[in-house]
Amino acid sequence: MGGHMGRLNDLKKGYHSVVGLRGRLADLEEEIQECRQVNLRLAELCDVMMELLLPVAERDEAEVAAILARYRTDVSEPLRWRSG
Amino acid sequence: MSERQTVAGGREVGSVAVSDEGLLVRCPGARDFAVDVLFDGRRIASFWLRRDTVARGGDVLYRWPAPLQRFLHGTTELSLVDHVSGTDLYRAEVTLGTGAGRIRVQDRQGNPLGLDKSNRLSRLFTSRSAEHLEPLLDAIGTVVAALEEAGVRPFLAYGTLLGAVRQGGFIGHDSDADLGYVSECDHPFDASWESLRLQRRLTRMGFEVSRYSGLAFKVVIRESDGSPRGLDVFGGFLREGTLYLMGEVGRRFERAWLEPRSEVTLAGRTFPAPREPERLLEAMYGPGWRVPDPAYKFQTPRWVQRRLSGWFRGTRVGLDARWQRLHVSPTESTPEEPSDFVRWVLEREPGVRSAVDVGCGTGRDALFLARRGVSAHGLDYFPRAFRAADRRATRKNLDATFAWMNLTELRSVLVTGATLSRAPGPRVVLARHVVEATDRNGRENLFRLAKMVTRGSGRFYLQLRGTRRGATGSSDIPRLDLDRLRAQLAARGGRVVEELGLDSQEHRLAGQELRPSPRIHRWVVTWDD
Repeated sequence: MGGHMGRLNDLKKGYHSVVGLRGRLADLEEEIQECRQVNLRLAELCDVMMELLLPVAERDEAEVAAILARYRTDVSEPLRWRSG
Repeated sequence: MSERQTVAGGREVGSVAVSDEGLLVRCPGARDFAVDVLFDGRRIASFWLRRDTVARGGDVLYRWPAPLQRFLHGTTELSLVDHVSGTDLYRAEVTLGTGAGRIRVQDRQGNPLGLDKSNRLSRLFTSRSAEHLEPLLDAIGTVVAALEEAGVRPFLAYGTLLGAVRQGGFIGHDSDADLGYVSECDHPFDASWESLRLQRRLTRMGFEVSRYSGLAFKVVIRESDGSPRGLDVFGGFLREGTLYLMGEVGRRFERAWLEPRSEVTLAGRTFPAPREPERLLEAMYGPGWRVPDPAYKFQTPRWVQRRLSGWFRGTRVGLDARWQRLHVSPTESTPEEPSDFVRWVLEREPGVRSAVDVGCGTGRDALFLARRGVSAHGLDYFPRAFRAADRRATRKNLDATFAWMNLTELRSVLVTGATLSRAPGPRVVLARHVVEATDRNGRENLFRLAKMVTRGSGRFYLQLRGTRRGATGSSDIPRLDLDRLRAQLAARGGRVVEELGLDSQEHRLAGQELRPSPRIHRWVVTWDD
């Protein structure tokens, strides 16, 4: 009898750990996606650094405005709505 | 509904009944295969007999796809054809809907339209004359040369490569042209950054570029009749023996199968292709790529989808749905009057000098602010929506500017914030029902922008529909968990210093009416650091 109960308890434990693992797996998958998403944000940030912040640090006010405007045009959707 | 007819000589289809709902097809024991739907002899759509239908009694029902439904009024000779063998399966004169006359599936200029494999209504190659294809071929050549000049080695990809290899021309049921390239880099971060640089180079060469994701964009070219046509450019990279190519490929691959590039013929012209195009076609369409399938559905493995989405996607959240709405009814029903929200903001901010309206739509609130002497800046993802307001501002010499911005592209948000933080203060940022229309990343970027612009000189005003956690309710505008939103703001140093509850008509609620909870909320936010 004790042997049966023991096996039942083992099964229960096994069941709970499988259920627990499923939840942990889902969490892990979500966390991996979050890590992956950092790549694009980092790429965008590097692009801004290289194209904007480094030139801006060396220029005067008028050139800063021109650099900002130029980068904004590069990033934007086509501006054909102005003429279209 | 027409009478059920028995199909003469039907190989695998028993009988067909046509109604406004769709096609009810009897196909006892038939295996699955692709069927073309023709109206007056012209292909309109295609479907797989089993995969794309639902069981209805002993029959299967192919529902008319939504984009087609508005055309289905009148009479046509409807035929069903086995796509691969070309065998006629069914043919009958049918009348649908309420209208008289022939059913014509066409655009406003009378150009014939059909559904491509993604069930998008498009001008398909099959209905385009050689004269109209010339500019597209020219454009492919131009974009190939431009990409080469920008430092990558492009090749024909997806349906365009398939058509070139299989038949030396465009696939009739296709609607666009695709290019691909495989980066020298082997990391998704480097591949994305390279894609951003490519976009900049192409823009500076004078091309119109529209970004889909961190590794794919569209280059828009004009055809001889002035109509725009997009060339999709899909980036890829090889990492540890696996080729990842936007938007569907993840497969064991060798660089030697890509380079040095070979050439293929497309409608009489020569274009670059991977060294062994058959290998890439198999990676794109599986081993059956030689058999035509006008209703092909990619069966991209989950691990590939998760990688490509995680690394590169998420820059168009909520935008495609909004574009659909804009496309169907361009004017929607937006009133010309300024919103109650903007009037309320202005009452509270008599000294404000600059205002930024995020998600400005038609620009009505920005124009209102400009008329009241505030320097106004409207931002939206759809320039078409604010085009009229932009012209009006110029004509009437109003101090209102309008610009494109994408809340889910960090670059776009940072450069816009940097520019507008230099506008004369005090400044306010307005966001009316914007937080509900984007995702967590978009909200994060909205708060980032608002903080850049108003920190130290102004306030951030929000109007939103919210709900407490666990509450339910349906609405055409999705609702937000207010506690989470407040926490997200707080994490950025934002504090809600004032809030107002409104009913669904935007009327203010008195204290005792605030239960169970207001439908619409207004928040005033300042920054602690």
